[in-house]
Amino acid sequence: MNNVIIKLENIKKVFYTDEVETHALSDINLTINKGEYISISGPSGCGKSTLLSLLGLLDTNTSGLYKLSNHDVSDISKKERARIRNREIGFIFQSFNLISDLDVSENVELPLTYRNDLTKAQRQQMVQESLEKVNMAHRSNHYPAQLSGGQQQRIAIARAIVGKPSIILADEPTGNLDSKNAEAVMQLLDMLHSEGATICMVTHDPRSAERAQRNIDILDGQIIADNLQNHYVNNDIAV
Amino acid sequence: MIWQDFNYALRLLSKKTGFTVLTTLVMATGIGISVFMFSFFNTVLFKALPFEDGETLVVISGSLQGKKSSSSINLHDYLSIRDNVQGLSEFGAYRNESVIVSTRDGARRYPAILAEANIFKLTRTEPILGRSFTQAENQKGAESVVVIGYDLWQNHFAGDKGVIKQRLKVNGTSHQIIGVMPQGYLFPNIAKMWLPLHEDANQLIRGDSGRIRGLAHLDKGISLADINNQLSLVMQKLAVKYPQTNSNISAYVTSIPGAGAREGLAVVYSMQAVALFILILASINVGNLLLSRAIERNKETAIRVALGAPRLRLISQMLWESTIICTVGALIGLLVMAWGLEITEGIVATFFSDPPAFWWKFGLDNYTLKLFFAIVIGTILVTGLLPAWKSSGGDFNAVLRDGTRGALGKKSGRLSKLLVISEIFISMTVLIATAVMVYASFMQSNKDIGAETENVLVANVLVTAYDSAEKKIQFVNTLQSRLENSAGISEVMISSALPGLFSLEANIAIEGQEYSNITNASYPSANYISIMPGSLAKLGVELRKGRYFDHSDDGLGKASVLVSESFALRHFPQQSAIDKRLRVIQKGSDKVQWLRIVGVVEHTIQGSRESESVPSIYRPYSQAPRAQITVAMKMAANPVLATKTLRKVLQSIDADLPSYQIETYEQSNNRITAPIRFISSLMALFALAALVLAASGIYGVMANTISQRTQEIGIKRALGADDEYITKEYLMTGIKLLLWGGVPGLLAGSFMGFAMSKTFGTGNAALVVIAVTMVVLIGSVVLFATYLPTKRALKLEPSQALHYQ
Repeated sequence: MNNVIIKLENIKKVFYTDEVETHALSDINLTINKGEYISISGPSGCGKSTLLSLLGLLDTNTSGLYKLSNHDVSDISKKERARIRNREIGFIFQSFNLISDLDVSENVELPLTYRNDLTKAQRQQMVQESLEKVNMAHRSNHYPAQLSGGQQQRIAIARAIVGKPSIILADEPTGNLDSKNAEAVMQLLDMLHSEGATICMVTHDPRSAERAQRNIDILDGQIIADNLQNHYVNNDIAV
Repeated sequence: MIWQDFNYALRLLSKKTGFTVLTTLVMATGIGISVFMFSFFNTVLFKALPFEDGETLVVISGSLQGKKSSSSINLHDYLSIRDNVQGLSEFGAYRNESVIVSTRDGARRYPAILAEANIFKLTRTEPILGRSFTQAENQKGAESVVVIGYDLWQNHFAGDKGVIKQRLKVNGTSHQIIGVMPQGYLFPNIAKMWLPLHEDANQLIRGDSGRIRGLAHLDKGISLADINNQLSLVMQKLAVKYPQTNSNISAYVTSIPGAGAREGLAVVYSMQAVALFILILASINVGNLLLSRAIERNKETAIRVALGAPRLRLISQMLWESTIICTVGALIGLLVMAWGLEITEGIVATFFSDPPAFWWKFGLDNYTLKLFFAIVIGTILVTGLLPAWKSSGGDFNAVLRDGTRGALGKKSGRLSKLLVISEIFISMTVLIATAVMVYASFMQSNKDIGAETENVLVANVLVTAYDSAEKKIQFVNTLQSRLENSAGISEVMISSALPGLFSLEANIAIEGQEYSNITNASYPSANYISIMPGSLAKLGVELRKGRYFDHSDDGLGKASVLVSESFALRHFPQQSAIDKRLRVIQKGSDKVQWLRIVGVVEHTIQGSRESESVPSIYRPYSQAPRAQITVAMKMAANPVLATKTLRKVLQSIDADLPSYQIETYEQSNNRITAPIRFISSLMALFALAALVLAASGIYGVMANTISQRTQEIGIKRALGADDEYITKEYLMTGIKLLLWGGVPGLLAGSFMGFAMSKTFGTGNAALVVIAVTMVVLIGSVVLFATYLPTKRALKLEPSQALHYQ
């Protein structure tokens, strides 16, 4: 039980727009353990990004129980949600979502600036380490517009891991990249996972999904399959 | 193609009626206000006179201790200037005078000009009948002749062409009419008749020589500054040569309309700057709104680019929107402004007891229309070109690829910041300047003049026809006693200047005080008023010490004086003023008459409210009679009856002495504060416009900026920033913008406010309070304009904000 980072029980998400009620997710039950590398797949509009938003506390569930690190986070304050996002979760987005006015090191430092427990020197040290991990330390003074898509995504990964989160949530991390850059990003995620990171990735690219140890398939807002990849089973990696 | 673009622009504007109406009204406000203000001051101060070479005609006036006043100069000084200043030609001299004209219909007072023979030649205008003066007629002892104005000719002579050589009784003396001037000719200001100056400097000593104003034409290529430098040198030399009469005195030259500004030019320029700032504010607002729309339509523009639209075509298409908005707004502004100018003419006429200067014709003249078209073209380019240029040059590939609105990105962010900073700067400047003006007006209009004004009718009477002091005194005594015994009048007060109204100022010497300089300017000055005994008490001017005048003071040889409390405090701070002695300094006169202070009365304000602190001294009319008196009558019935009574009594004493400017005492006082009240009403209107434009503009830009940053807010929240952090971050951005725009705005506004407070005597403490209030006001607007859109952006779930388009 101590290994469980995320536990969802009967999670439901309904969007209400004017007179239409859209059930984006229903009866989602999911447990994610520490060190797992999970891919969530499914066709467009199936609810996978909504699930990722709920997991990342970017949105609230309509009903059900969500436990993060054994704490119920279904009904916590906005402030507390922000704190958890900052400390426990690292996000990687499809469109990188770097802030164009900030340079690379400032972008990576950004989540650390929301904490009050780090000195400037500590923050800089963490940024440096993070950038080195993604091989982008030499670009620390560049602005996002001066970087390629692949480089921008590596910066986004550095930003996601700089605060040493409990889990990394990646939403189509290779969706905006060519195959070469996509492969580089996936290798980076593999490396992070091998170092012990817990990763949950939404993707509809089968090749990316294959790299995860566990695949979850969603259709019409429901989990229809939750399988361990064969190579992980064969290698007998504990789940 | 152009027609197609125009139609498309019309269609877009008609789709968003709220936007169209708002931007059009904003432009109407900006253009209307600025064109009105520039047109108003051009008419009053900067317009060339409507004569041939009117633009080169200048007037030479006197200044005292470096302060420009509308005062005249010594005839001897004028001659020195004429002989020594290069760059001026065709010199002429004149003096304003009120004269009494007696005809079969009775006596009437007219504004007249005593002038040298070339007065009409200077304006390149010939009489329509008869001729102008000759040099010989200007000599002392020459036959009395007069040139009359068109109105006088029509009203008194029914336009009779045989009026030439007829006789006209002016100030009791028969004059031969030698000419009639054309209709509308009132040069140099409001003159209705022109008489020879009859003064020869050679026959006068410097101290006694008459006061005149000089006229001349400016030579080609010579500037007013060149002439003013020369005038200063000439006057400095005269001051060295004649220290007793000329120390601290100088002269300056201006255009004739420009002479009206005197020390107030700083206020005029400040007001013009305010009007210009409001136009800029309106342009920024409309430009920003158009920019927001251009950003909203980025995808559409990108599609057009993809389809091969050249950049110039895109720009021209976007320019149509600003062209339509600015043109329609300008036309609305023009209509309102034309109406405003029309009613201004009526309002301005109430500022003066005589008609205003003849060139004050407010309306859509050439200058106004030229300025209007220049401003319309300018605003079209400013409001349309920048958004069009920016939005037609974005990264359209990115827009088409991922549909983001942020294609203008960082540059757009910088532009938005610049817009907010400009709005803060302008609004801070405008609001401080206008608030000082409004405050000055309020203070001046509500100042206690020190007398009771209710239910009192006042009238002026000129007694210049009585050449001796005794006759004047006798006339005034008779007038007072007959009025007091007339029906409809309960009390009568007679003075050379009633409290609140303009008074002669004189230099005073206190017995026992040493005055280091022998010049007049080194003596303290005070309002010098002649008043009938009992008048001060009846006017409610309270006695503080000693006694009022009584009949024991009557007599030309007697020497008693009352001083105001302010005078006593200033000159006898630690002691009683009673029985102390003072004297009035008389230029060029060796006669010393010490006056004993018999009483101290409440302080009164005389004339413009800026000079409220000037103390006063009073002499009994029987000791110091004057040529012009003001009669104040407490009415037992109504003003009509009191007026009839006054006219009847005057007629019974002397049919050749008219009363003029008959009105209530309150009206007289109101007229003095009317110009500043009018200008401050305009300023209050401008302040309101500036505040609304600035508040809506700052809110618009901030809302637009923050809305464009919704996605960024989403990213930050995803990374763990809580609402409080983001709100603080954006408020800090707002505060930074406030500092960038507010500090220079505070300095500029305070500078303009200082110029105004100096002119209107409102004091620096009020300026500080106003500046602080405006900082709080603009600060609140900025913080509110930042907080609301931030709050709105934070209402979205982070997941929604991340995908915000």
